[in-house]
Amino acid sequence: MRQKKKSPDFVLFLIVMSLLSLGVVMVFSASEYSTMVNYNDSFHYFKQQLAWALLGLVAMFIMVRYDYWRLKRYILPIIIIAFVLLVMVLIPGIGREVNDARRWIDLGLLRFAPAELVKLCIIIFTAYGLSQQKGRINNFNGILPYLIVMVLAAGLILLQPDLGTAMSLACIVLIMLFAAGARMAHLGSMAVAGIVAIGFAIALEPYRMRRFLAFLDPWADPLDTGFHTIQGLYAIGSGGLFGLGLGQSKQKFLYLPENHTDFIFAIIGEELGFIGASLVILLFALFIWRGLKIAVTSTDPFASLLATGITAWVGIQAVINIGGVTGSLPVTGITLPFISYGGTSLLLTMIGVGVLLNISRFTAAR
Amino acid sequence: MASAVLLLLIFRLVWLQLVEGDKLRAEAQEIRMRDVPVEAKRGIIFDCKGNELTSSVSVDSAYAFPPQIKDEDRRQTADKIAYALDMDKEDVYKKLTQNVGFVWLKRRLDRESAQNLKELKLDGVALVEENKRFYRQESLAAHVLGFAGDDNQGLTGLESVYDHELKGKPGRIVIEQDALGDDIPKAMHKYIPPVPGNNLVLTIDQNIQFFVERELDHIVEKHQPKLAVIIVMNPKTGEILAMGNRPTFAPGDWRQYPQSIWDRNPSVWYTYEPGSTFKIITAAAALEEGAVRTSDTFYDPGSIKVADRNIRCWYDGGHGSQTFEEVCQNSCNPGFVTVGLRLGKDKFYKYISAFGFTRKTGICLSGEEIGLQIPQNEVTDLNIATMSIGQSIAVTPIQLVTAAAAVANGGVLLKPILVKAITDPDGKEIKEFKPEEVRQVISENTAKTLMSLLTGVVQKGSGKNAFVDGYGAAGKTGTAQVVERGGYVSGKYVASFMGYAPADDPQIAALVMVAEPTGSEYFGSQVAAPAFKAVAQDTLRYLQVPERPQVEKPKLPFVYEQPKLKVTVPNLEHFPAEEAKNILLNTGFVVQSRGDGTIVGSQVPKGGVQVTDGTTVILELRLLEPGEDNEPTVPDLRGLTIKEAGGILEKLGLHIKPLGTGFAFAQQSLPGSRVAKGTTITVEFKEERERSGQ
Repeated sequence: MRQKKKSPDFVLFLIVMSLLSLGVVMVFSASEYSTMVNYNDSFHYFKQQLAWALLGLVAMFIMVRYDYWRLKRYILPIIIIAFVLLVMVLIPGIGREVNDARRWIDLGLLRFAPAELVKLCIIIFTAYGLSQQKGRINNFNGILPYLIVMVLAAGLILLQPDLGTAMSLACIVLIMLFAAGARMAHLGSMAVAGIVAIGFAIALEPYRMRRFLAFLDPWADPLDTGFHTIQGLYAIGSGGLFGLGLGQSKQKFLYLPENHTDFIFAIIGEELGFIGASLVILLFALFIWRGLKIAVTSTDPFASLLATGITAWVGIQAVINIGGVTGSLPVTGITLPFISYGGTSLLLTMIGVGVLLNISRFTAAR
Repeated sequence: MASAVLLLLIFRLVWLQLVEGDKLRAEAQEIRMRDVPVEAKRGIIFDCKGNELTSSVSVDSAYAFPPQIKDEDRRQTADKIAYALDMDKEDVYKKLTQNVGFVWLKRRLDRESAQNLKELKLDGVALVEENKRFYRQESLAAHVLGFAGDDNQGLTGLESVYDHELKGKPGRIVIEQDALGDDIPKAMHKYIPPVPGNNLVLTIDQNIQFFVERELDHIVEKHQPKLAVIIVMNPKTGEILAMGNRPTFAPGDWRQYPQSIWDRNPSVWYTYEPGSTFKIITAAAALEEGAVRTSDTFYDPGSIKVADRNIRCWYDGGHGSQTFEEVCQNSCNPGFVTVGLRLGKDKFYKYISAFGFTRKTGICLSGEEIGLQIPQNEVTDLNIATMSIGQSIAVTPIQLVTAAAAVANGGVLLKPILVKAITDPDGKEIKEFKPEEVRQVISENTAKTLMSLLTGVVQKGSGKNAFVDGYGAAGKTGTAQVVERGGYVSGKYVASFMGYAPADDPQIAALVMVAEPTGSEYFGSQVAAPAFKAVAQDTLRYLQVPERPQVEKPKLPFVYEQPKLKVTVPNLEHFPAEEAKNILLNTGFVVQSRGDGTIVGSQVPKGGVQVTDGTTVILELRLLEPGEDNEPTVPDLRGLTIKEAGGILEKLGLHIKPLGTGFAFAQQSLPGSRVAKGTTITVEFKEERERSGQ
């Protein structure tokens, strides 16, 4: 029943290449001043990001050629790796603490954030599991195991603590369940449970509450909780229609923290203006469109759910990140896919895209 | 759904970048800018002849940008700065470690310190030009000018009132910097030059002000008063030519003086009973209303009874029969009381208001007071009587001199002006202050009549000491007791002279007011009139007013028939000691007591002796004689009030039966006799005793 392989979705490939190259350029532009001050080398982050981007491209091409169904054979190791990593990162000595959170595993030369790998693993696992359920999907018992796995993973992530990643993981799995045909009543009650859980998570940690409130009115506390959002808004607002021009950001002069990672979209808004920033949003919209098209036209339920999961992964991160930077959502620390500085995250996103492109080779013509 | 969310984010971008964009960009820019303020040059204050009374000179001030100084260099930098500027090392270090972008190290350096600092060439430390206010004539017209503080802000006087004109607009050097305070590539640099302040041209004439200051110094030297004020006005325009106060201060050195000296200007703030100078107002109102004519005759028996009270003339025995002209020359109290009562309260109040005593004059100085009047609906005949001689009403010096100017100029009340014009830094006139007529108070004819009456006062009467050689003068002296906590204080006076010269065509109107002189002299004719004469003489000559050869000098200098109030010492023998002391203190004596005991044995001087106010009375105390506690000795109760007499008898274990009201003049048991405890003694009272002005 194997179909004849087509060539991968070229439009999706172009979208990814555009976002990736824009990202490398913007990482340089955003970080050149701060790295000059901190490392005495304007190219410090740029060089790393460029290397990871090239590595990511290689990984993507490999995955384009590696047929996705072979992943089914490794489901057990994949889910085991995911949980081992999540536990390891919490162990002092292995997990490295930055800003009161253990999100990184030190591998000597490079630091590795397992969150993205875990997301990919859970997506593959959930896609496989749900594709095996066939008719039992509208039965709550049919979806329960995947919910449990997701809740466990999200719970471990919350221990780091990393509310943003836990939330995005939950959203991805919910979207996959929806795509698999789970009953709306189940999804609805799960969403309510999720919101209640988030409510608890916020209420338990005062800093989350402050951050959460800060996005509603950053000017209420401009020097502390609102500071980051305000500096981001200053950057975006300064851009106007056409932007200050590539490399002309002023907020990057140490005013906007994390300007090459979480807040890189603000620098895009400042330098490239409304035109550039909305183009980026448009590219993500196109990505979602192509991703879902692949999911819909794919004939294999596993492929279809896998494509949905990967698309949701990228789409949700983009929405949460841009929403946070523009002051429309709470700031969570979620990076902007393909663009934000961050080696492992970029590599894994590229692997995911490779898988997506591979799936596109097996779609039915419509 | 995903597309819908992304569309919402695009709308959000439209809002942030296209709608709010300019505002956010400007705010962000403002935050990135580091300012170095460049102070504007403060305007100059000129006198009416163009002499600089105060101006600004440029001096260097040192400041630092703490973020630009590297942590490891801070100690060393602080030490160097401390050495160069002669400051404490720790203080400097504290300033450099403050978490601010900009900090003043030391303002207004001397030339040497500035040079030292320049040579050090320290990173993050720099000099900027600032102004130092320089008051050329030290304390000349100090209260009028006021002073400006360190940040070029006027704090008192005209420096404060016209601060908005004088201060100009500070400039800025603006540099765009990163969050740590370093200059950034392609940074914006902007120099916004300061706009210098405008200048004030005052109506004050430096030379006339100098005459005033000189006379005030004389007054202080001779009489050591609590306060002294001289105001000279041009009666035709309302322009203040000079305004001086004592105690005074040096505006350039104001921190060396207590706040009570520099924070208010007695010329506009001090409120006092004007005494006889106010008789000018009484006379003006009465003449204008036809309540009196100069030829009307009055008889002064030495006192006048108004509503059960005797108001005494300052001249014991009275002035006898006299015309109104003589009433003025003699400053006769009963005469003016009669005139005031004839005028009536409605008309009197009409003129008090018309002459401006119920309102601020509106002079451009802060802290002006209004004065005090008894409300018209509560006023009694007795009040009208005392107001006629300048008591029971309080005014400010500026109100009084403004009213005098109205009498001098033919009856027009003018708003006093202190600032003639405002000019821009190039000297071009921006605004001119023209004389402002408030209202015609009295007719020109009345003013003329007053002129001849007041000329007579100076020529023949109590104002002789104010006669200005070659010019003559018109005016009136005043001596009033100081009111404190609702009562008159004996031994505290306000001496004043109010007048104008030359009488036929007045060029100046002036008030000399001396509050609480401490020497033996306290009459207006002794303390204030000579200062008026000196200021007027020099001013008229300085203004090149032609002399009046026809004016005759007064024949004899004014003689002080009664330099002090004559009082009778009460007989206090057999009084309880405490009561005796209180009675003496309340009637203006100084008390000294000797010996042990509770009863006054004898006293020096003896009771009934006539002495001057303020004499010391020595009381010899004694113990109770045998049997005296059951049979006390009756004291002499004459001159006491019912309350006082009753209190004393009570203390001795006796009772009183008063007959009549007022002061005791007869008693049933003779002084010195012994009566049994519990006896009731009949005492007769009648009206007597009154206070007086000059």
